[in-house]
Amino acid sequence: MITVRSAYLVAALALATAAVPAQAQETIKIGAPLALSGKFVSYGAAAKRGMEMAVDIYGGKVAGKKIEVLFRDTQSDAQAAVNSFTQLLSEEKVNYLVGPIATPMAMAGLPAWRRTKALWVVPGVTTPLLEEEAGKEPMLFHTFPYAYHYHISLAKILRERLGAGKTVAIIYSDDSYGREHLPYAQKFFAQEGFKIVAEELVRAGATDLNPVLAKIRRAHADILLGLVQTTDGISLTKQAYVQRLGVPYLIGTAYPQLKQWQDATAEAQEGWVGVTTYIPGLKAKADSKYPKLFPDSDKWIAEFTRRYNREPEFIDVGAYVSTCMLLIAIDKAGGDDKEKVAEELKKLDVHTMIGRGHFAPTGNGTLNQAFSDVIVHQRVKGKDAILFPKEFETTTTVEQAAYPK
Amino acid sequence: MVGLLLQILADALLLGGVYTLMAIGLSLAFGVTRIINFAHGDIVMYGAYGAFFAFAGLNIDPLLSLPIVAILGGIGGYLLFKLSLDRILNDVSINQVLLTFGLGLILQNVAVILWTGDERSTTPAYAFDSWQFSDDIVIAKGRVIAFGIAVLFVVMLLAWLRWSELGRATRAVSQNQAAASLMGINVRAMYALSFALSSAFGTATGAIMSFLLPITPFMGFPIMVKAFAIIILGGMDSVIGTVFGAFFLAIAETAIAYLVPQGIGWAEGVAFFLLVLMLIARPTGILGTVGRDA
Repeated sequence: MITVRSAYLVAALALATAAVPAQAQETIKIGAPLALSGKFVSYGAAAKRGMEMAVDIYGGKVAGKKIEVLFRDTQSDAQAAVNSFTQLLSEEKVNYLVGPIATPMAMAGLPAWRRTKALWVVPGVTTPLLEEEAGKEPMLFHTFPYAYHYHISLAKILRERLGAGKTVAIIYSDDSYGREHLPYAQKFFAQEGFKIVAEELVRAGATDLNPVLAKIRRAHADILLGLVQTTDGISLTKQAYVQRLGVPYLIGTAYPQLKQWQDATAEAQEGWVGVTTYIPGLKAKADSKYPKLFPDSDKWIAEFTRRYNREPEFIDVGAYVSTCMLLIAIDKAGGDDKEKVAEELKKLDVHTMIGRGHFAPTGNGTLNQAFSDVIVHQRVKGKDAILFPKEFETTTTVEQAAYPK
Repeated sequence: MVGLLLQILADALLLGGVYTLMAIGLSLAFGVTRIINFAHGDIVMYGAYGAFFAFAGLNIDPLLSLPIVAILGGIGGYLLFKLSLDRILNDVSINQVLLTFGLGLILQNVAVILWTGDERSTTPAYAFDSWQFSDDIVIAKGRVIAFGIAVLFVVMLLAWLRWSELGRATRAVSQNQAAASLMGINVRAMYALSFALSSAFGTATGAIMSFLLPITPFMGFPIMVKAFAIIILGGMDSVIGTVFGAFFLAIAETAIAYLVPQGIGWAEGVAFFLLVLMLIARPTGILGTVGRDA
């Protein structure tokens, strides 16, 4: 009996061993180093949703092979991110990476990526550190605006709508986000003729922003620009409102588009201006070549909401679109040759829910950049009014912020 | 200038109230059990989520859900003590530290799994209102409420410790466990009770934080670190010392944030500078008795 069992066991092992390379040939692996726990979990979870939906809508197969997405949790920790990249690139030997979203995780994974230079699609990372370090790499495909794209659009539209001679006060966080954004805000707001009258540092996660707000109040600025991330964005918005800051125009970065920021700030959100790549209510038409992947935005939103029982946010859409573009390029390349896929990706030109999907150099060092146009929107009576770009514009007036009566 | 000084004073006092709330539970648990509960910040976080769900789901104001959240926190704290800490009370203190640290991580990760990392906040009307006395002086109503609750908690705790039988027994255990045991006091029961009360204060604090700070599964750690600095400053086994520590820290931080250029960046560092200074100069803290030899 033991002998028979052993024979079965040996046979099963032999079959399993033989099956491994066969399976490897039948799948195309995409590595996804994402923050599925820790402080960036909301980014990672959104990217995971977007990627899963993309693979599903694509049909689960590309170039005749099964798509296998290998999610690895970077735990919002630099060391864990290094491990995730190393495991995906050296052990799993993936040819394609999508993610991460947060800058520190991407920068931590960069040395590991340099060893194999897999085709790397980055649907996040606003700070231009990535551009400085790896923008010239032909296998890097950045599918999200950099910080300077935010400030170019913001400064331009505010100058157009508010006129010349306005003064700006800047609050920036002491983390990499605030410090990376600051020089671009200074540069592009000054270029548009704004005068910066105050620059105040805040500690990320600070309990009390009143001292900084008191200094801003005394500067009598026309515009407040808050260069902070979501958690601090909530504190800043609430405390600026409660402290009756009195600054007429309140400008944020990405946080005013987030439902969690909107829910947490209630009436204090009135008048805040933000930037994004996607916003609910944006009416984008379907792509003529790939209408199943990139349908009318309303249709896509309905499908996403049906699947996940929530409205999509910008990272959901960005990760979805980026993954679809990668899959199309793999199909066009006819298989798992990352060089050919990179060539196809560069040629791709599609119309997506977040605008034109086409890679071009940035002029600042990134060879392959898509989706650099940002949408400037404003919270008005609990809804989004779109100020820019022209094609999506729903208002021409920048409303003043509201304070307690 | 007078207006600015008054605003600094008001902000410092109100921040002191918030800091007292953060630290009072931690101080009570340490004073009695001599165990630093590194999961305390995460207990505060659960209180904040409790108040949030009561507000978002049942439309219950955080101030009304506070007693319910505190009772649930007390029960949770008691169970946590009986199921974990009670079993290693006689172990070396590093085991207790590691256990509470591990519990904190578990609580945090469970919160991420249950509620994701999204930021949340309760939004009662008073959290968005303030009194403006002049261009320079604005007082947030939410902070005044937090200050009032902090005063109430301190008075309640001191009264309980002084005048109730259980409170006196708790003090006896805090002062001399062996003598308390010889007098017939069930030391372990007092430990469990103080841990439960500490957790109740923690979750009640969370209910207040729910309208002052963004609620996330990660909000507990900075609260715990701040509370830790406060009880070292004030004295690790003294409730009044904790209040002193909280206000001392709040005044130092606020003054630096207002008066030093880019001072808010330095203000948080002040907590740890003061903490190091206190550990070197007076390890017992301002009013504590437990120090280097404890």
